[in-house]
Amino acid sequence: MTWSGKAFREAMVIAAFAVVLGFTSTAIRDKGLFAPATALSSGPQGKRPDTPTIIHLAEVKELFESEEALFIDARHAFEFDRGHIRGAVSLPLNEFDDRAGFVNSLPRNKTLITYCDGVECNSSIGLASRLRDAGFSGVRIFFGGWNEWQAQSLPTEASIQ
Amino acid sequence: MRGFFKNEYNILTARIFLGVLLVVVSADKIADPAAFAQSIQEYRIISGPAVMILATILPWVELLCGLALIAGVLVQASALLSGTLLIVFSMAVISALVRGLDISCGCFTQDPAVSRIGWLKIGENVVLIAVAAFLYSSQNIRFSLDQYIRGQQSGS
Repeated sequence: MTWSGKAFREAMVIAAFAVVLGFTSTAIRDKGLFAPATALSSGPQGKRPDTPTIIHLAEVKELFESEEALFIDARHAFEFDRGHIRGAVSLPLNEFDDRAGFVNSLPRNKTLITYCDGVECNSSIGLASRLRDAGFSGVRIFFGGWNEWQAQSLPTEASIQ
Repeated sequence: MRGFFKNEYNILTARIFLGVLLVVVSADKIADPAAFAQSIQEYRIISGPAVMILATILPWVELLCGLALIAGVLVQASALLSGTLLIVFSMAVISALVRGLDISCGCFTQDPAVSRIGWLKIGENVVLIAVAAFLYSSQNIRFSLDQYIRGQQSGS
């Protein structure tokens, strides 16, 4: 097998076309990078009242114990089935559009707390923003997520073993 | 053995096999780049805007390479590009396995219950990389758009 400069140059042309088509198609369909922009704050002060805010473990535990919150798991359903915060419901971010009925059935008198794996993932933020866009106020993001919850040996449950 | 690698029907079969596979795997990702971005993110190798940029571009690279291989145009370039992608994907899977991550591959479908990563996935990729390498080194252009174009040019 010999190295071909021509093949490399042609490969670069294919890659360039892929860049153009990728950006154009997502822009036209409002997908990916061009999905509706979402706002995010790191604190409640001076922000829009309905903007999702990040909360930390101490506050999350308080809300959990007072049963004032509903936890929403943004991870894949498969991960949810293997283990989640006790009482949480599953709403993977990529299924949001297909589960409008479920989204509408979420309680509006409770604080909704989204979470995913932990600080490495962003789906909890994405999900919180989508919930805000769907009209839910005071959505919270538990950024430490499943990893922090598990590390603290806090109550969990699983659908499959 | 040499005849096997030069056989025009073997080359055609390899082109159609890899081409159709690339087109099929790109479909799910093009339809839902956000889900693909989530799959990429789960490998915990890259983060931030780069994830969504990759999720926007990579499926189109796969689609274009697949279509080019099926049509028989820019075969060597498509084989080079798809082989390189497969090597990079395999390295990501190996890195995730070494770190003990139990995640979905994000290769064929974005459904996490299907296609979890494992050493079998590396085996699959090795076969596909071999097919890409075979196509890269093959010079035969029978049954291809390239052949048709060259025929037209020499005829005129």
